[in-house]
Amino acid sequence: MEISNLGASELVSHLSAGHLTAVDCIQYFLQRIEQTNQSLNAFVNISDTALQRAREIDARRASGKPVGPLAGLPIAVKDGICTSGLKTTAGSKMLEQFVPPYDATIVRRLIDADGIVIGKTNMDEFAMGSSTEHSHFGAVKNPWSLDRVPGGSSGGSAACVAADMSPVAIGSDTGGSIRQPASFCGITGLKPTYGRVSRYGLIAFASSLDQIGPMTRTAKDSALILSVIAGHDVKDSTSAKNDVPDFTRSLEKPLTGVRIGICREHFDEGLDPEVESCVREATKVLESLGAATCEIHLPHTPYAVATYYVVAPCEASSNLARYDGVRYTYRAAATDLEQMYCQTRAAGFGDEVKQRIMLGTYALSSGYYDAFYLKASRVRRMIKHDYDQAFGEVDLILGPTSPTTAFSIGEHSHNPLAMYLADIYTVSANLAGVPAISIPAGISASGLPIGLQLQARSFDEGALLQAAHQFQSVTGWHATKPPLYQGPQT
Amino acid sequence: MSEFIDRAVVEQVARLARIHLSEQQLDASSKQLGEILNYVGQLERVTLPDDVEPFFGAIESVNAIRADEVNSSVDRDSILSNAPDSDGEFYSVPPVF
Amino acid sequence: MNSVNESAKEARARVGFDQVTVVIGMEVHVQLATQSKLFCSCSTQFGAPPNTQTCEVCTGMPGSLPVINNQALQLAIKTGLALNCEIARSTKWDRKNYFYPDLPKGYQISQFDKPICGKGYLDIADANGAFEPRRVRLERAHLEEDAGKSIHDESSRGGNSKIDLNRTGTPLLEIVTKPDMRSAAEARAFLTELKLILVYIGVSDCNMQQGSLRCDGNINLHIEFGGQTIATPIVEIKNLNSFRAAERSLTYEARRQFDLWQQCGLTIDDSPKQTRGWNDAQQVTTMQREKEESADYRYFPDPDLIAVSTSEEEIAAIEEQIDRLPAIWREHLSEVYNLKPYDADVIVSQGRGLVDYFREVADQCGDSRIASNWIGQEVLRYLNESGLEIDRYPVAPRQMAELLKRVVSNQLEQTRAKEVLNEMVASQLSVAAAIEKLGIKAVDHDELKSICQQLIDEHPEVAKQIQDGNIKAVGRLVGKARKLNPNANPGLVKDMILKFLGI
Repeated sequence: MEISNLGASELVSHLSAGHLTAVDCIQYFLQRIEQTNQSLNAFVNISDTALQRAREIDARRASGKPVGPLAGLPIAVKDGICTSGLKTTAGSKMLEQFVPPYDATIVRRLIDADGIVIGKTNMDEFAMGSSTEHSHFGAVKNPWSLDRVPGGSSGGSAACVAADMSPVAIGSDTGGSIRQPASFCGITGLKPTYGRVSRYGLIAFASSLDQIGPMTRTAKDSALILSVIAGHDVKDSTSAKNDVPDFTRSLEKPLTGVRIGICREHFDEGLDPEVESCVREATKVLESLGAATCEIHLPHTPYAVATYYVVAPCEASSNLARYDGVRYTYRAAATDLEQMYCQTRAAGFGDEVKQRIMLGTYALSSGYYDAFYLKASRVRRMIKHDYDQAFGEVDLILGPTSPTTAFSIGEHSHNPLAMYLADIYTVSANLAGVPAISIPAGISASGLPIGLQLQARSFDEGALLQAAHQFQSVTGWHATKPPLYQGPQT
Repeated sequence: MSEFIDRAVVEQVARLARIHLSEQQLDASSKQLGEILNYVGQLERVTLPDDVEPFFGAIESVNAIRADEVNSSVDRDSILSNAPDSDGEFYSVPPVF
Repeated sequence: MNSVNESAKEARARVGFDQVTVVIGMEVHVQLATQSKLFCSCSTQFGAPPNTQTCEVCTGMPGSLPVINNQALQLAIKTGLALNCEIARSTKWDRKNYFYPDLPKGYQISQFDKPICGKGYLDIADANGAFEPRRVRLERAHLEEDAGKSIHDESSRGGNSKIDLNRTGTPLLEIVTKPDMRSAAEARAFLTELKLILVYIGVSDCNMQQGSLRCDGNINLHIEFGGQTIATPIVEIKNLNSFRAAERSLTYEARRQFDLWQQCGLTIDDSPKQTRGWNDAQQVTTMQREKEESADYRYFPDPDLIAVSTSEEEIAAIEEQIDRLPAIWREHLSEVYNLKPYDADVIVSQGRGLVDYFREVADQCGDSRIASNWIGQEVLRYLNESGLEIDRYPVAPRQMAELLKRVVSNQLEQTRAKEVLNEMVASQLSVAAAIEKLGIKAVDHDELKSICQQLIDEHPEVAKQIQDGNIKAVGRLVGKARKLNPNANPGLVKDMILKFLGI
């Protein structure tokens, strides 16, 4: 059997039917990681218990005992999500030695479903970045072109799925950190509604924006994973009590009657013409599937990036105060307490993280709070209001995920603001809390993937996955693999 | 230079954030923070009706509460094993002065 | 110039302390009596070995999240209701950001602009009338999490500090008054009454040794000078670990501020708020720090928590749990049991248990004054000496009432009755058994007559003195009667001797 051609859903079926053992499956991917990770740097830590888990699951299945819906499926987890007994660093020197004594709720749910955590993926330090260049453990390379970034901050998760090192990865998305790397690496990435998936155990960047989601080859695979990880968690006060449907059930529903809004503001200056024409093509495909399209407005879109770069750093400046050298972090040598704080935080955090902590500290401090944090939070209300209005008219909002394809490593290293502006199409969904998905919709002339973003009403991930699946039923972009990593030829 | 920030403010912010910055880093940070603040400063010019309430969190629900029940705590050794300095009972930190 | 300064100083020197109004506001932190912490399910039990009552949440481990303890909310609301506070129908959580090793997250979860309890008040009075009754207005009461404990190296050798996070996350209610108190005695009375209420309604054990109740005082002076009112700089006195320390430090600080003003003339406009500590050994306040401008807490709404709303029904249900408060009991004991305000206060201020004890004894023995005297003296003395609470007192109310009935009916005179009580306490005996054990029995009339006659005969000089008008001298004979027969009732002896002597 050619495992490399199988997505998560197919793997699960074959595992369930006994065509494949969990041990064979895990061994295949461990070998892929072994072959590939050196050039991509997608994983920072490989689980040394994955094979053992696979043996246990095989034994359980062989003896006729029940197994979970993901039995034997390898899953890569972003290193900003806590795994009990397995080092969790958030890409930071600060947490280089941190071994959590507990599992994140989603990790627990995946394990309870008999999924197998195969390793931890590289990321921008504390999820701050759009390129996965800002990791203490080195930059991740884009499998489509090794001199390009994979996007970020879940760059390791995106690269490992694109390069066939794992059929599924878990990412987190604060301003586009699942969707933009999915777009840059040619995979499917879903940011669920805020509150849909528990954040318990997700190392916080900006608590009111962070959301965990699946990164897979297909929408169908994302539906499978979301159905397992979604749902209320008593340990997360912000987790929603809404019912969780089986998202795999509604995928085949035709798009007839579905109304899709094309956001006018997403086609303004700065959009790469190649990306634009690709998105226009994708629109036609969706129309051919029965969807009705129209133009809509999200008038506060021009302020979204500015709003985001106030709100997120403010929350981050407070969330990252706990990294102080006392309980679980790196500690710099010091003779007194103040020195310990200041030197630990100077040496333990990378430049981008320090920059954002400084920005947030400033924007919350006395005299600036009203002009920055409070004002941004009021503009955020308007951004949410824009969505409420738009979703009165349409079911989905369509546009590009990112204004460009993957940029070169180092391209924005001296201009953080330019990198921030690349988040323009993704940050609004986080600010408003709505779900959004990025799916592959084309390949550029230079051979880089282009992503299409769909956004939906809160808690309507079903609509996103349905449209994405329908699109993938008639297109082949999601099945196109990076030339370097097409897997073993048969 | 930014209308929002100067080197003295950057120094003060670094102190509040407990991040030591070298002279060179202070200069670099002043410049970069200034640029970013100039960009996000456009929010000041957005005019909003007075009745627009801030939206602080993406979930507007209420009452996530738990019952007052004690569950066992995490084993001390496993908690302290992550600490950079501890005597097995306490965390240990350099003196205040 | 110099002479101008000099003359201003001389003018200040002529101001008397009686032209000064002392202005005091208090901040009180109360640990609420929950089983588990405010945001996690670790125990709040005091005294466990260091760092054995912590988890990923209260040590602020990456990824952990807080969930509010409903009981803490209930107790906070109950307190607010007992203190006449407005109860917020919707309350939220904010982060107070600062660095300290015993604050694991680098911020404290607190409440900034929507505290659970808003404005309220507490009436204070002194049973001896030392000050006029006063209504102390409360600014607010909000919930927050406690910090851990830092143990610093006191050897001055610069050793490391030790951090224990067991206390981290214990629910605290911070109660803040308006600057309404006008003397240290009023401040002490406020604290005493507040503690009493909190214990009555069962929201906290208020054990100051264990830190369940901690208070800080804010104080400055308003001085009538040169036709206007001048305010001195505000000083916050931190960590007053007893009510006596609170009273003494505020008394000291008022005088210190006055002396300093006379010397330098500094006013509130010249100096920022200062923090001082109370040195109990030397009985002085010492400078800790000026509230520097960098104490910028950067409060903002905690995005990990959502608002809590409380319905009218829930508030009404909590209100129903509140029994009579101390002030009501004082009134009740005065009006229904006819006690003097001072006596009522003695009982009420010992806590609800003693009130119930008193009522049972008074109801059963039928004489509330006697009950009040005996409880106020004998019972309280025993409790103070033994350090026990009334629920551990060896004599049940019914037995106490039995004893007092005999006193009321003159079957037992006071001194003998006290001996009986001591025996009841020591040997856990009933009244009858204790009387039996002490060999107490009534002395019959004839024997009493012969004792009295014998005393008059043996002490003619005393008898003469009495007949000459020194009635008091009869006491000496009464004393001797007890030696002849310890059961002789002194009152009866006295009456009989006087009768024999024709007085």
